[in-house]
Amino acid sequence: MKITGLSKEALFKEIFQANSKKIYHLCYGYTGDDDTANDLMQETFMKVWQNLDKFRNQALISTWIYRIAVNTCLSYLRVEKRQPKDELTDNIIETKGEEISDKNEQVASLYKCIAQLEENERIIITMVLDEVPYTEIATISGISEGNLRVKIHRIKQKLTELYNKNERF
Amino acid sequence: MKDFEALKSIWHNQVALPKVSHEDVLEKVNKTRTGLASRLLLEMLGMILATAFLIYVWIEMPFRMWTTHLAMAVFLGCCVYYIIAQIANYLKITYDSLLDKPEEYILYLKKYKHDRFIFNTRKYRIYSIFVTAGFMLYFVEIAFLAMLWVTIAGIVFTFAWIIVWYFVLMPIYIKKEESKLEDMIENLERLEMQFADSDFE
Repeated sequence: MKITGLSKEALFKEIFQANSKKIYHLCYGYTGDDDTANDLMQETFMKVWQNLDKFRNQALISTWIYRIAVNTCLSYLRVEKRQPKDELTDNIIETKGEEISDKNEQVASLYKCIAQLEENERIIITMVLDEVPYTEIATISGISEGNLRVKIHRIKQKLTELYNKNERF
Repeated sequence: MKDFEALKSIWHNQVALPKVSHEDVLEKVNKTRTGLASRLLLEMLGMILATAFLIYVWIEMPFRMWTTHLAMAVFLGCCVYYIIAQIANYLKITYDSLLDKPEEYILYLKKYKHDRFIFNTRKYRIYSIFVTAGFMLYFVEIAFLAMLWVTIAGIVFTFAWIIVWYFVLMPIYIKKEESKLEDMIENLERLEMQFADSDFE
């Protein structure tokens, strides 16, 4: 993405349009709640706006935004007294379960399974599902690429097992 | 039975979209900035007014005892400390650490939470002790000048407040803060372990 030669607002708009959906998915996968995901996404982009000048001319702005989003999610969980995983899961069923289509039901079920993973696993798997390159995920999460590959392999297995188990019942 | 590729395809079919636009973000940025600035301004204004009033009283009232002058100095010191602490708190709101690796960011959060805990408990305790000491010193002169019942009422009220605050309110507050901090640190440590880049067996 060319990020020079644009006004700050135009640049921000471009960055927002290119990244907001993925950042929202990350926040949704992490929290399991639509409203909270929107709040966290908004908070992430507020921080992006406030730090935009520092990041002009950098090659991979998406890595930088993901890093901010991950840290925003981590600090959100620390500030707020979070609901336990079971309640999170119920929340997803409640908010997503009422929706009509099969596709939405499958998505809801997938989010429900993601909610059962550990925090760092949720972060990594949402990036994998959004097809973020492994090198970028390694930079964002601060984990070496070799370890990350092993980790991703395990999370993929865990998520698939959870999903299939869930589908049977 | 679905494999991971099938889950990926479900993921890409999802219709859930963010409800926030880039305009909403910019509007919130402006509101937050104004909100923070006005809050800071209001608090500062209140404290500056209190400081000005104290200085006026100190100059205008013919205090005769050194204890009262010391009380005034203590009150002013508390006001100045409060203003400085507030400014320092607002200056601490920086976002540089957000670009750290998650593991380092978690460490930063742990330290930040701990510092806030120290500020909210130990420093607040010292601040309150100084304010109380100021009142006690002030009552020395009142005891010599005012009627006996006014002096006694003042002393009883001051000591009752000290006892209630020190032995009832402060322990409850500290216990609550400590348990909150323990929860946070526990969660942060769990997260730190998750992000540690250790070799897999």
